[in-house]
Amino acid sequence: MSEAKQAILTVRGKDANNHRLSSKVFEEEVRGAAAVADELILESFGQHNIGLRLGSLEKPITIRVTGPAGQRLGCMGMKGATIICEGSASDDVGYLNIGADIIVKGDATNGVCNAMAGGRVMIGGSIGARGLTMTKWNPDYERPEMWVLGSVGDTFAEFNCGGVGVVCGINPKNPENVLGYRPCVGMVGGKIFFRGTTDDSYSRTNAKLAPPSDEEWQWLLTSLPQYLQAIERLELLDSLSVREEWNVLAAITPQERALMFAGPMPMAEFRRRIWDHGFGGGDPLRDLAPMLDRSLVGVVETGDLRRKKPFWANRDSAAPCTFFCPIHIPTIDRLRLLREGRTREAYDMLLRYTPFPASVCGTICPNLCIQNCSREKIDYSIDASVLGRAVRDVDPPEALPPTGKKVAIIGGGPAGMAAAWQLALNGVEAHIFERDTVLGGKLAQTIPWERLSKAVWETEVERFLKTKNLHVHLGVSLSKDKVEKLKEEFDYVVVAVGTHQPRTLSFPGHERVIPALEYLKAAKSDNPLPTGKQVVVIGAGNVGCDVAAEAYRLGADQVVLVDIQKPQAFGKEREAAEALGATFQWPVMTREVTEQGVIGADGTVIPAQTVIISIGDIPSMPFLPDTVDVVTVAGASWIKTDIAGRTSDEQILAVGDVERPGLATNALGAGKRTAEYILATFKGEHWVPFNKKMISYEALTLAHYDPVTDRGVTEDQQAARCLSCGSCRDCHLCETICPTNAIFRREIIPGPDGVDYEYVSDDNKCIACGFCADTCPCGIWVLRPF
Amino acid sequence: MVSVRSVYTSPSSLTYHDLPWIIHHREDRCTLCGRCTSVCPVGAIYLTYHRQRMPKLDILQKKRGNEYRHFVGIRQHTVIEKRCIGCGMCAAVCPNEAIGPEANTNEHRSAFLLNQKGDAYKRGGRRNAVGKTVLDRISFGRISMLTDPALDAGRHEFNTNTTLGRVLPPEEFLRRKANGEWIPPTREIFPFVIGSMSFGALSPNMWLGLLQGVAYCNEVLGIPVVMATGEGGCPPWVLKSPFLKYIILQIASGYFGWDEIIRAIPEMQCDPAGIEIKYGQGAKPGDGGLLMWFKVSKLIARLRGVPEGVDLPSPPVHQTLYSIEESVMKMIQTMSMAFGFRVPVYPKISASTSAKAVLNNLVRNPYASGLMIDGIDGGTGAAYNVSMEATGHPIASSLRECYLDLVRQGRQNEIPLFAAGGIGKNGNVTQNGMALIMLGASGVHIGKYIMQATAGCLGNEMGRCNVCNVGLCPKGITSQNEKLFRRLDPDEVAQRVVDVFMSIRTEMKKIMAPLGRSQSLPIGMSDALGIDDADIAKRLQINYIC
Repeated sequence: MSEAKQAILTVRGKDANNHRLSSKVFEEEVRGAAAVADELILESFGQHNIGLRLGSLEKPITIRVTGPAGQRLGCMGMKGATIICEGSASDDVGYLNIGADIIVKGDATNGVCNAMAGGRVMIGGSIGARGLTMTKWNPDYERPEMWVLGSVGDTFAEFNCGGVGVVCGINPKNPENVLGYRPCVGMVGGKIFFRGTTDDSYSRTNAKLAPPSDEEWQWLLTSLPQYLQAIERLELLDSLSVREEWNVLAAITPQERALMFAGPMPMAEFRRRIWDHGFGGGDPLRDLAPMLDRSLVGVVETGDLRRKKPFWANRDSAAPCTFFCPIHIPTIDRLRLLREGRTREAYDMLLRYTPFPASVCGTICPNLCIQNCSREKIDYSIDASVLGRAVRDVDPPEALPPTGKKVAIIGGGPAGMAAAWQLALNGVEAHIFERDTVLGGKLAQTIPWERLSKAVWETEVERFLKTKNLHVHLGVSLSKDKVEKLKEEFDYVVVAVGTHQPRTLSFPGHERVIPALEYLKAAKSDNPLPTGKQVVVIGAGNVGCDVAAEAYRLGADQVVLVDIQKPQAFGKEREAAEALGATFQWPVMTREVTEQGVIGADGTVIPAQTVIISIGDIPSMPFLPDTVDVVTVAGASWIKTDIAGRTSDEQILAVGDVERPGLATNALGAGKRTAEYILATFKGEHWVPFNKKMISYEALTLAHYDPVTDRGVTEDQQAARCLSCGSCRDCHLCETICPTNAIFRREIIPGPDGVDYEYVSDDNKCIACGFCADTCPCGIWVLRPF
Repeated sequence: MVSVRSVYTSPSSLTYHDLPWIIHHREDRCTLCGRCTSVCPVGAIYLTYHRQRMPKLDILQKKRGNEYRHFVGIRQHTVIEKRCIGCGMCAAVCPNEAIGPEANTNEHRSAFLLNQKGDAYKRGGRRNAVGKTVLDRISFGRISMLTDPALDAGRHEFNTNTTLGRVLPPEEFLRRKANGEWIPPTREIFPFVIGSMSFGALSPNMWLGLLQGVAYCNEVLGIPVVMATGEGGCPPWVLKSPFLKYIILQIASGYFGWDEIIRAIPEMQCDPAGIEIKYGQGAKPGDGGLLMWFKVSKLIARLRGVPEGVDLPSPPVHQTLYSIEESVMKMIQTMSMAFGFRVPVYPKISASTSAKAVLNNLVRNPYASGLMIDGIDGGTGAAYNVSMEATGHPIASSLRECYLDLVRQGRQNEIPLFAAGGIGKNGNVTQNGMALIMLGASGVHIGKYIMQATAGCLGNEMGRCNVCNVGLCPKGITSQNEKLFRRLDPDEVAQRVVDVFMSIRTEMKKIMAPLGRSQSLPIGMSDALGIDDADIAKRLQINYIC
C-alpha cells in the first residue's frame, strides 16, 4: 500500500438533538459517507442492517461499529467490506452475507449467519440459537465461514448447505454442550469443526461425526491465526492447536443416507437375534404343529406343492354308446380295433357281447348307442348298424373247454339264447329248452321278414348252433315237476320264456278280435290268417305297426291303428307301416266290435273286416315252481328279480321279458348279465354289474375334429369319425401340449382291457396347468385336488 | 351341423360379458406356458381349442367347400362357481403380459346368481363402496404460520403416542397415589393399532409376520405399535414370549383359544397390552364371527380346541350376558381380575346409534379402559354379503357423537375412544386416522389396510378377489393351506410393517406440525377440520369449507 492517507469518516446514530436516527436515514448517511471514505466509524444507536451492500473489491471499506448494533449487522455484506463490531451484536449477524468479513468482538444472539453464502463471520464470544442455518455455497466463490470462540445455541446449523463452522469452546455459555441441542437437522452440505463437550444430539440422519482429516486439520491450522487476530486473541493459538481436542460434523450424502435407511437392523438379523430368541430359539408353532413347514414356496410349483394333479383316467368313464347300449357293447373299442386294422379282433369282441350283431344291432335295434353319440355334436352320429351287419358271416368265437358246469335255460328267445351263448363260450354246458319248434322267440316268430331278413336271421342262428357246449331241445313243454328235475340235474335254471300270452279286452264283440301275437305268428307260418280289405289294429305301438305291415302283405287295402292315447310307435316299425299307408287315429275308445268294424265310444264306426288287438303280451308260466316269487302289475304276473336276475329261489334266475318287457336288445343284455353272474359264481368271484359313469361332453375336446359332409356307409368311415370318448386314442396330443414336458408315454403289460401303454405325468415336472385335460380329445386326463 | 360347444341355456347360464371380471387374453403374445391356469385360485381359466370355418366360395371356378382353421386360447369359465374373481394372479405369473382380468364396467348379471344352492352369497373383504369416504374428504385447515410458532415436521421432536387405558383426573390420581390405592392400568401406544385379525382368519405366516414387524417397531425403532389378535387365541409360545406386551388379546363370543391363554398365564413373562372384549364388528354388526370350514386346518383346530374342517360361527352375543350393565360389569371385571388389574380391558362394539348407551355404561365402570367402535367400512374374513353391504353405521358420526357426549360430561380425557372401519380404504391411512383423532378418537385400528400394505392383499371395493372366507387367498394372507400360505415370507411382511409404521409416523408429523402440535396428539382438535359438505360439517360439528 503506497497510499499515504486514508479517508476516515464518522457517522453518528443520533441527530443534533440527540434523537436516534431511523435505520432508513442512518443507512442513507452511511452510504453517502462510504462513497468517499476508506473507513467509517459508526457511532450507531441500534440501527438495523448496518453494512448492507457496502464496499467492493475495487473499493474496499472498513466499518467500525462503536455504538450498539441493531439486528442484522453485516446483512447482505459484500466482498471488500470489513465490518468490525467492538462490542456484542444482536440477532441475525451476517444475514444473507455474500462476502463481507464481519467481526464481533463480543457475543452475538440468535440467527448468526442465517442464509449466508459467502464471507466470514468471526465472533469473539458465543452465539445464540439457530446459528449457521440455511447457508449456501456457490463453488465459484469462497465458502462462507463462521467462527465462534465460545459455544453456539440450540438447533445449530439446520439446513446448512455449504457453510463451514468453527466452534472453539473457549469459555462457552454452556460448558456441558458447546453445540447446543440437536444441531445439524436437515444439513446437506458444509461441516462444523468443534472443540468441547456436546450432548451428542446431532441429527444422525444428516451429519456424521469424525476427527479432522489431515486436510481439514491443515485448513484449520492455516485459518485459525487470521481469526484469532481478527478478534485479537492470538494468545489462544497454542491451546487451540491440539488436534485431538477437535472433531468434525460433516453432512451425509443422500447415497450414504439411503444405505442407512435399510433400517437400523436388517430384518433377518432381527429375526435371528431377537425374534427367534423370544420363543426359546425356535418356531413359535413347534408345539402346536410339530411338522408344520412354513418355509417359502413359489406360486407355480411342482410335486406335492401343487394344489391339483393330473390323472390319466383311461377307460374310467364309459362312452355314451357303451353306456346306453343295454348290452354295454364298447363300440369305441370295436372302432379302435378297426382303425388299428385288427378287424377279426373287432368282430370277435362284438360276438362275445351278442350272438346277433347283424339281426339286432344291424337290423331291428333302434340303436340306443348312437342316439347319444358325441359325434352328433360335430356332424352325424356313428352308424352302428353298419358295424352290426358287417359281422353277419363271421364264425363264432372260440369257446373255452368244458368246465363241467351245467345250466338249463327255459326258453329259446333272445334272452335265453344270449345267456346260453355267453355260458357256452365260457365252457359251461348250456341246455336250451324251447316249447316251439324253432329258436328265436318273438324275433323269429313275430317280426315280419320284411324287417328282419330271413337270410340274415338264419345265418346267425346257424352260427349260434355251431358253438360248442351248447345244446338245444325244441318242442319241450315243461311242468313244475320237470323244472324240479332240471334243478337237480343242472347247477342253475334260467327262466327266459318271455311273454307269449296276449292281453285282450272284454268289450262286446271281443270274440271277433284276433290277438296280434297270434296274427303275427301265423303270418310268418305257412298258414296266415285270412285278412280283410279293411283292417283296424287296436293299440298303436310298434307291434301294432308290425301287424299293419303284415296285414298289407296279406291283402289289406287300408289299415287304421287306433289308440286311446297318443300312439307310442316310433322308429323303423312306424316308418314301415306309414310307408305302406297305415293311418293312426286317437283317442279312440273301443265300445264294441261288430261286423261293420270298430265302434268308438262316440258311436263313430271305423269299418273293418278284420280287427286285431295289439296291447301287449304277458308271461305264461304254469311250470314256475312256487319257490319263485312273482310281482303282479296290471293284472299280470312277472318274475321278481334283483340286479343280477336272481329270484327268490337261489337256483333259479330269470331274464328278459319275464322280468320286465323291453327291446330285444334289453333281453340280450339281461341274458349276458345273468350269464356273467353265473360264471362269476362258478369261479367264486364277486360279480360286479356294469357301473361306469358316462363321460360328459364337456370333458371331450371336440374342436380337434372337423365336420364331414358324408356320414359314411363303411365300417372304416365310422371308425375314422369315432371320438373315442373316455378311451385313449393314443394321439400324443397331451405329450405335445404339456408346457413342462412332464407327460410321457410308456408301454405296460396289458391289463384286462388289452391296453398295452399308458401316459404318465412326471410329478417333478408337472405344474398342474391342466393343459393335458383341456387338450385331450377323449376326456382321459382329469385334474383332481390332492 | 351343431356348434363345437354345446351351449346349455339354464337360468344360471352366463356369457363372458355377464361376469364381473373379463379375462383378456392375447393369443399373439401367449407362449402357452401354463402358469396362468396353474396359479388361478378358483380354476376360472383354461386352455381352449377353437375351430374356425373358412368357407371357400369361388363362383367362377365352381370350387366350393369349407376349410377349417384351428387355434388355441386361454378362456374363462362362465359357470358361476368358476367365475373369475379378478385377483390378477394370471397377470402376475405371465411371462409375456398376455393375460389379465379387467373389471366389467357393464352391468353384470352374475350378481343375480351368486345365491346358489340355497345359500346367500358369502365372502371376505369389505363393503363394495367405491370413491372417497367422508374421512378422505376431511382436510386439516387450521394452519399455524405467523399466528403461532410454526413447527417443522422434519426438525422438531414429536410425541405421536396415545394412551390406552383410563386416565384419572389429576386430583383423583394424586389422592389415590397418596393413599396407595389402585390406579387403572394404562399403556403408551402408537395410535395406529393393527386391528383384530385372528390367528385363523390370517395364515400363520401372515399373523406371525405382523407380530414380528410389530416387535421390530418396538424394540428397534421405539415406535410402540401394538396389534390385536382377534378371536382365535394366540399360540402358546407367543403367549410366553416377551412379545406378548405388544398384543391386545381379544375375547369374543366364540371363546376360541382362551383355554390356551388361561393355561399360559403363570408362564407369561409380561402382561399383554390390553384385552379387547368383542361385542360387535363393523363389517357385520350383530352377526358374530365366522371361520368357514375351509380354513379350520389341523393347526387352527388344535389352537382353538375344535374339530378339524368344521364351520366355526360364533354367536352374535356372549351367551351368558343379558344386559349392557351386566356385560360391562361381568366381562370387564373378569378379564381385569385375570391379569391382576394390570391390563387395560375395553369392549369393541359396532358403530351404531346405540353406541352412546354402551359408552355411558363404561364411563360409570371404574375398570373400563376405553371403547373401541368399528364402522361399516371395516373388513372381515367371512360374512354374508348382505351384512357387509347393508348392515352397519359409518364410523365418523358414531365416533363423533360418542366423543361429544364425553365432552358434555367433561370426561373426554378419561375414557379413550378408539375408532375403526375403512381407515386407509383409499390408501390415505394417516389422513383418515388423524381425521378421526381430531374428531375425538384416541387412536384407530387398521386391518384391511395392513393386509394391503404389508402383504399385497389384492382385494378392493369392486369385488376383486374377496375369497378370504374360503381360504383360497392367492397371496397366502388368509389361507390355512400350506401350499398357499407358504407363498408369504414373514420377514417381508415384517419389513413392510416397519416401513408402514415409520411412514405413518412421518405423515402424522406432517399433519401435526402445521397445526402447531408436537407434544400431544390433537385428540378432539376439531376446529382444525374442514369438509366441503355443509351437511356433514354440521353433523360432525366441524368447519364447512369450499
